[in-house]
Amino acid sequence: MRMLRQMLPLLAAVAGLLVLFRVWVPGFLAPDNMLDLAQQISVNAIIAFGMTLVILTGGIDLSVGALVALVGTTTVYGLIALGGTETQSVPGVMAAMLLGLGAAAAVGLVNGLCAARTRMPPFIITLATMLVARGAALRFNEGRPMHIPEVHTLFLWLGNGRVGCVVPVPVPVLVMLVLFVLAAVLLHRTRFGQHLYAMGGNREAALFTGVPVARIEAVVYVLGSLLAAVAGMINASQLYSAEPASGSGFELSAIAAAVVGGTSFTGGRGTMVGTLIGAVIIGILDKGLNQAGVHFSLQYIVKGLVILAAVYADVRRDR
Amino acid sequence: MLSLRGVTKRFGGITALDHVDFDLRPGEIHALLGENGAGKSTLIKVLGGIHVPEAGSIDIDGRPAHIRGVADANRRGIRLIHQELSLAPNLTIAENIYLGREPRRLGLLDRRRMERDAAALVEELGLHEIRDVRTVVADLTVAHRQLVEIARALSCRARVLVLDEPTSSLSEAETEALFATLRRLREQGVGIIYISHRLAEILRLADRITVLRDGHSIGTQPAAAVNQRELIRWMVGRDVAAQAPPKSLGPGDVALEVRDLRSARVNGVSLELRYGEILGLAGLVGAGRSELARALFGIDAVESGEVRVDGRPVVLRHPRDALAAGIVLVPEDRKREGLIALQTVAFNLALPWTREWITGPVFHAQRRRAIVDRAIRDFRIKTAGPHECVLNLSGGNQQKLVVGKWMERRPKVLILDEPTRGVDVGAREEMFEIIHRLVESGMAVLLISSDLLEVLSLSHRVAVYKDGRILFTAPARELTSERVMEYLTGAKTDENA
Repeated sequence: MRMLRQMLPLLAAVAGLLVLFRVWVPGFLAPDNMLDLAQQISVNAIIAFGMTLVILTGGIDLSVGALVALVGTTTVYGLIALGGTETQSVPGVMAAMLLGLGAAAAVGLVNGLCAARTRMPPFIITLATMLVARGAALRFNEGRPMHIPEVHTLFLWLGNGRVGCVVPVPVPVLVMLVLFVLAAVLLHRTRFGQHLYAMGGNREAALFTGVPVARIEAVVYVLGSLLAAVAGMINASQLYSAEPASGSGFELSAIAAAVVGGTSFTGGRGTMVGTLIGAVIIGILDKGLNQAGVHFSLQYIVKGLVILAAVYADVRRDR
Repeated sequence: MLSLRGVTKRFGGITALDHVDFDLRPGEIHALLGENGAGKSTLIKVLGGIHVPEAGSIDIDGRPAHIRGVADANRRGIRLIHQELSLAPNLTIAENIYLGREPRRLGLLDRRRMERDAAALVEELGLHEIRDVRTVVADLTVAHRQLVEIARALSCRARVLVLDEPTSSLSEAETEALFATLRRLREQGVGIIYISHRLAEILRLADRITVLRDGHSIGTQPAAAVNQRELIRWMVGRDVAAQAPPKSLGPGDVALEVRDLRSARVNGVSLELRYGEILGLAGLVGAGRSELARALFGIDAVESGEVRVDGRPVVLRHPRDALAAGIVLVPEDRKREGLIALQTVAFNLALPWTREWITGPVFHAQRRRAIVDRAIRDFRIKTAGPHECVLNLSGGNQQKLVVGKWMERRPKVLILDEPTRGVDVGAREEMFEIIHRLVESGMAVLLISSDLLEVLSLSHRVAVYKDGRILFTAPARELTSERVMEYLTGAKTDENA
């Protein structure tokens, strides 16, 4: 009940935006358009789930956008090398995806260990690994996009497939929903989640209460990177190719979704539902303004102001 | 020179000050006493221009003064020195003294003049401890930072100095130095309003004492005319029994045994702590007492030495190791180390026991509820409910929470670091009661406190602690605070005297 009350202003914002764009753009609420919207939200939402976990500890992860590109290139490279260009071998595809996840986990582990074991601020650590990851992505194929061979229907299904006979739900939306449930359970129903809140609220006090803060910090960055990896694979699949330059600015959208959803930037406060709704709000704005024919320059300005307003409302409610 | 008549201040429905009279003479140290919530802070905030009273008058030098803001108060020479110091730690002493009114030449900062003036001021005030005005404040001890605050206040020709709990984080020696400074300022004609919970200290320092209770002034007395017992009765409106250590059930088995423990600030400590016993650690601030506690709780790395609980060796690498062995710590800094401030009472109380009420992704709300309710009940934590934010609790209740959160399963060894810091007289009594109860139930307690009388009256045995090592250990009844002080200040070094 308390959760619902907290989410009420956000849900009201979603409803308000939907009505607004329904008036502005006829057919905005049509089922097809809504499914399309959900599909567009999914990549950002998945990254934002991880970002929420990181921000809850009082940290930040700027490297996830570059990871989207790195995981895309690594995985597609693996697909071509292991899965073949003429035929599709399932073990090969699995291996390629593991390769992508592994690359992301490695970057996440570096972030996490640096944050936990040194006094370097997470902003700087992940700024540095962002550059490293982006550079690593550009090492593949001399920085040019790598096309995904059409035989790889399995991998292409991940970003473009639809499931269900009555309502054909896009696969990325299903992936997002499954990851949402997992992340929400992790955050709100496990000891790990309790410890995240404790650590973000007061790191010192959490340590004095026996919370393994260093381990949690390391794990949280790995989780954030793995979620970004899933987003990166979906992204590559949707583009039918691995683009080393893709994903730039994704980290900022994810931060925006988390913050609009009520995650406190100083850590210790925020929910997964909030972040999901935050991603939905950002998504509706993107799609709605686009379909309404608003010039993209104005879209940036509107989005910026909405984020400012949302955070201001959140800060005010706090007092 | 300063006189308040019938000052009244309400916050919503609560009357914080009810027709309070108070006056201050030049060259006087006037102590303001009262439990937390008695109205002391409100009174000084009225003086400092932070609150505007609803009724009553403030006269300065016989003329009515309308203090409507901090700037008004400063202009009239009233300066507040807060508990939380308001210095910029990254700047030097001189820069802090002239912060906001830096001397300039041709529009540029005149650093040379600033430093020269600051040095002259410090010299004139006799604050030799902060003579080197180019020192960065972050490098100073808390005591010396306070002197910088005082110098800053007096540099603006302050005539009334208000000090709120200035000694709460000072060692005995530093307190003495501060007192010497205050006495010197008194001779220079400065009027000083002094707020403290430490009665012995007030009786030693103050000329007159005014006691507030529930927003009323109970009266003003010359300090020479009252004793500690009377003061306590005034403050709480009832008699408070003198403290005695809990009845020992005879020496129990050894709970905690430490052999030659060394860490960064602990230089070879050996001690034995038995079940049902309080071992007090008497030492000055900065002697490394908290560091011993931190080492025993697995926070600071142990370099060498041996720790045994129930005779079994324990390796302390993380607080989890200490907790597993049955050692818990109630840390010195409640807000920073004890509480998750954003969270509720229930969250804080349940946090150490997540293993009990979360198994994998299964959440046992009832078990959590039971743990929380038990702690609230057993430790009489006054709260609107388990969902109240911990920041809304009084200091005493926060402290009870920090102790209570460990007691779901009785630990073997309880380390209390400054358990009564910043709590009022009533809550202090309750804390003593809680300690008694725990010890009588057989727990072993290591008590660390800056309040020497507290250590001596509450403990069975006292370890005199200096420079990261124990000088000697003796039954508390064989020691007096004077004698302990002699060792701590280095007047005596012979351990068998």
